[in-house]
Amino acid sequence: MGLVFGLTTLMVLLAVVSLVFHDPWSEFASLAENQEFRFALLFSLGTTAVATIIAILTGIPVAYCLARFEFPGKALIATVLEIPIMLPPLVSGVALLIFFGEVLGSALAKTGLALVFTYRGVIAAQWFVAAPFGIKAFRQAFEAVDPRMEKMARTLGYSPAAVFFKVTLRLTGESLLGGITMVWARTLGEFGAVAMLAGITRLKTETLPAAIFLNISLGDIDFAVAAAAVMLVIAFFLLLALKIFTRKEVGF
Amino acid sequence: MNDELLQVSQLNVRAESFRLRDISFSVEADEYLTVVGPTGCGKTVLLESLAGLRRASSGSVVFCGKEIGRLPPEARHMGYSCQDALLYPFASVEENIWLAARARGVARDPSVRKRMAELMERMGIGHLLRRRPAFLSGGERQRVSLARAILTRPRLVLLDEPLSALDPRTRREIRELLRDLHLSEGMGFIHVTHDFSEALALGDSMAVMKAGRIEQKGSSMDVFHRPASLFAARFLGGENILSGTVRRSNGQAWFAVREGPFLGPLTVDVPAGAGFVLIRAGHLRLERVGGPIDADNSWVAVVSSFVIGGTHVDVLCTGGCRWQASVPLSDWPGLRLVAGDSVTLSVRPENIHVIPGGGWKDRRERGGYCSLAHTRIAGLAQSGSNGFKGGKRD
Repeated sequence: MGLVFGLTTLMVLLAVVSLVFHDPWSEFASLAENQEFRFALLFSLGTTAVATIIAILTGIPVAYCLARFEFPGKALIATVLEIPIMLPPLVSGVALLIFFGEVLGSALAKTGLALVFTYRGVIAAQWFVAAPFGIKAFRQAFEAVDPRMEKMARTLGYSPAAVFFKVTLRLTGESLLGGITMVWARTLGEFGAVAMLAGITRLKTETLPAAIFLNISLGDIDFAVAAAAVMLVIAFFLLLALKIFTRKEVGF
Repeated sequence: MNDELLQVSQLNVRAESFRLRDISFSVEADEYLTVVGPTGCGKTVLLESLAGLRRASSGSVVFCGKEIGRLPPEARHMGYSCQDALLYPFASVEENIWLAARARGVARDPSVRKRMAELMERMGIGHLLRRRPAFLSGGERQRVSLARAILTRPRLVLLDEPLSALDPRTRREIRELLRDLHLSEGMGFIHVTHDFSEALALGDSMAVMKAGRIEQKGSSMDVFHRPASLFAARFLGGENILSGTVRRSNGQAWFAVREGPFLGPLTVDVPAGAGFVLIRAGHLRLERVGGPIDADNSWVAVVSSFVIGGTHVDVLCTGGCRWQASVPLSDWPGLRLVAGDSVTLSVRPENIHVIPGGGWKDRRERGGYCSLAHTRIAGLAQSGSNGFKGGKRD
């Protein structure tokens, strides 16, 4: 038991640290000047921010309905909403490509909102893959709130909307932030679905993971490793934030 | 009826697998109504329905002369407080109470600020304002919750078991506070509890609930001494509930206790037939046997055991059937009683309360009933008592 524990921990640690063995630091200085890196970083931050905001705006109402109301077919709907969690992102990407391409493609193109091979596609793919994680986390957060706390607020004089914003959100604040952090981490790392729906076009739909993939395939290992190290740092801070919000493993 | 605050008629509420059926009662402007009943009888559902947290399937609720049956809770303006206080953990005590003013948009009103300061003083929570609810004791939480419920001066305050989670001393303190608030605030109160002694101590009037229905409503004393059903008599801790028959002679009703004395004449007219008699332990007079007994409503029994309490001694006797009498502690030493002594028990006619009915259901209920104290001392009880004497038998 102890041996497995030790080996597993060591394996994960070494795999992560091996990025650093490659010495990404020498590339760091030039990264800031690198146009491709700057594009990928800003593009990633921009698209993931929008995708996360959309995931919040769609996920919170859906999760609240699932947590608070009983309706026919609820279990089925909840399962459908979780499908993207189990699906390989590539498959999600193919499904999105067909949906936004073959099914809705011409209609979207007419309105000037085509998604396929555009930055909008990047956002849609990131949202599709990450939103179910948000719904799951938000739902758990709402379910942990005693509904009587909300009822009490109604008797004090708050309307249902005021109860939601002034009581429920405040009661769930940290758990929701935990969920949001997780959603953002998922959007940031999303590659497969993005590649399928939006393609990997240099300086057009090039997110950080796409930049890493693109440069590895072109043989620019140093650049790829430096970009990967940046993602590692971001992941570390996101994980730390998640732990703080959920207060599960950090002694606050 | 201008001073009627709340009028509930034929209210039916469906709550999951439970139903409130045909609830009708009224509350006057400064009435303190207690609703008692066992756990699961629908007390909380009733309060939630009045507060607007549950929708009624039929019936009407008129509050301050206005039908409010379809209004949402925020439009009803009733105070609400419950057993676990439900304070918001993200806010300080002050913010928690202040939420009530904010929600009604009166937070800037100077009179509300003044009211807040007065309430803090009165409720003894002035020193807790900056604290978070997690750092309050049970009694403090209850005080804060009450302050929040009454800050904006609702005409009616709904209390759901506010004393149940408290230790005995704190319970007494909060009980005093509730009585104080009732006297000084001029609000109506509906207080639900499973503890009839709490209801008796606080309420002007009492309603007894059973399985989603109100069995009886009346002045607290009246309900306590004259429960309308066997269920109410049992729930209200009736010490001597005995089956027998109502008989009529010379235009008056008498009650023949099965294997016991003949009691009467009853001061309330009751039709002849099977029924139960309730005699409160405090109404049963106990004396040492001295000479022959020929008075009405008195009989001889044998002391089987006694339990000395803080103010009274509960004496358990057998005399045809089992009796429990309550003797003031101050009288107890003079009686010098030990188990096995013969005593005379007597009761005044006005304290004999008969509950008509004795169908199979009542009998079955009665079968399970034999006050707890009696069951406990059953092993000690002596049989072959002298039985009754001096009563009238047909």
